[in-house]
Amino acid sequence: MMQQTSLQMAPPAPATGATNAKVSIRRLNFHYGSFHALRDINLDLREREVTAFIGASGSGKSTLLRVLNRIYDLYPGQRAEGEVLLDGQNILSPRQDPNLLRARVGMVFQKPTPFPMTIHDNIAFGIKLYERLGRSELEARVEQALRDAALWDEVKDKLQQSGLSLSGGQQQRLCIARAIATRPAVLLLDEPTSALDPISTAKCEELIDQLKDRYTIAIVTHNMQQATRISDWTAFMHLGELVEFGDTEQVFTRPRERRTEDYVTGRFG
Amino acid sequence: MQHNTLYLRRRIINAVMMGLSLVATLIGLVWLLLILGMLVVKGAGALNLALFSQMTPPPGSSDGGLLNAIFGSLAMSLMAMLIGLPVGLLAGTWLAEYGRKQPLAELVRFVNDVLLSAPSIIVGLFIYEVLVMRMGHFSAWAGACALAVIVVPVVVRTTEDMLRLVPDTIREAAAALGAPRWKVITLISYRAARSGLVTGGLLAFARISGETAPLLFTALNNQFWSTDLNAPMANLPVTIFQFALSPYEGWQQLAWAGSLLITIVILALNILARALSAGGKGK
Repeated sequence: MMQQTSLQMAPPAPATGATNAKVSIRRLNFHYGSFHALRDINLDLREREVTAFIGASGSGKSTLLRVLNRIYDLYPGQRAEGEVLLDGQNILSPRQDPNLLRARVGMVFQKPTPFPMTIHDNIAFGIKLYERLGRSELEARVEQALRDAALWDEVKDKLQQSGLSLSGGQQQRLCIARAIATRPAVLLLDEPTSALDPISTAKCEELIDQLKDRYTIAIVTHNMQQATRISDWTAFMHLGELVEFGDTEQVFTRPRERRTEDYVTGRFG
Repeated sequence: MQHNTLYLRRRIINAVMMGLSLVATLIGLVWLLLILGMLVVKGAGALNLALFSQMTPPPGSSDGGLLNAIFGSLAMSLMAMLIGLPVGLLAGTWLAEYGRKQPLAELVRFVNDVLLSAPSIIVGLFIYEVLVMRMGHFSAWAGACALAVIVVPVVVRTTEDMLRLVPDTIREAAAALGAPRWKVITLISYRAARSGLVTGGLLAFARISGETAPLLFTALNNQFWSTDLNAPMANLPVTIFQFALSPYEGWQQLAWAGSLLITIVILALNILARALSAGGKGK
């Protein structure tokens, strides 16, 4: 079954081996202690396009995302095997400094996570980690990030207020602004709108659509409509396996796999 | 019908238990109020400017103050904080940020809990053995060290508790920007837990400002003004202890005043700590 899946995935144009792959995942396996959470994942994230990961809870979507910036490294007992190539470099190699990697691969989490500091400092925090900028340059970068995240007009008069004083939707856009302020190559979004109301969700989706001109984006979502609205590619995962990967329209309208069809039509999950 | 009798029985039991709890609370509070009332009645009369401007008087004299004791208590408490706070802060940080569930962390936690409830006279004896015996004389240094030993477990505990209240998602968010571990801790975790950490320090300070036993064996006391850290130093708790037991009216008065002073300071520190931690939660 598994082999059949990967065979089906391999040849068509969208799948592995694409020339403009920003991130290439090869034979990736992941373990939480003795639990085998990801099984032989092969997948490409194409440059400046949005790849959506769908699947039931526990299917491994978030785990896969957490491999791409090695955030799992923070916890003992979690380990990844295989290769993840970012611009051709294997980021799972022990020689890869995880902090430098994370500076290039931004991440936004399910719940907004503003730092307990001012709105301005929330954005400046990431920039100052790896760049020494003059005051005016820094201000310009902060403003740019907030503009890019469509938040500037709402916060320009209260940059010195706490980031915690913003509404949930604003906090999440602040987190997106913070993630793009460091100018990463890849943006990982782990259910970024699941804690937001519909209006904030729409704003965030619009934002993601604009950001894909500049960033390679991977997004985990439980919301099928969201996946169809914002992604170019869709990966369906189930119990740690990549069941199907392809063009979003194809995955949702003409899925090759029965399990995919059952899931996207809401028959299981 | 059966339901009703059952319900009635529960209501009666509830009322009885509630009444017992109330009585127990009152019994606890009454003593506290009696102590406070007694201190105010006996000590307020002796609270005057001389208390803060004059030295402890010779026996039999009816004037004098507690300046040298107040200074000594402050100096030794501050030194103890200077020694104990960084140690406690670092150990608590290790437990919360690095050690977590490691066996060594569990051991440190256990030992810390033991130290937290160790009788303070044991701490005094320990420093007496380790420092006073070796140096050959009582000293302010030894007093500060004894107090520091009491500070450490308090700060370790509060630091760990407060840092563990900081959600891991915030640590992940900072790490996801490429921040190395030490920056995540110093710039994010500490900041998020700031009010709690300050509270821990204040509580530790409140705790040691009334300790008598550890000083009895280490700093002893001093009738005179002294800033020599290698010599015995006056301090409030031991002065109160000696003056209260003395037959002299003037000394007894000063002991009451000193007791009231310490109680007010500790009360104020505790209220400040509570206000700070409440403010921290409000954000």
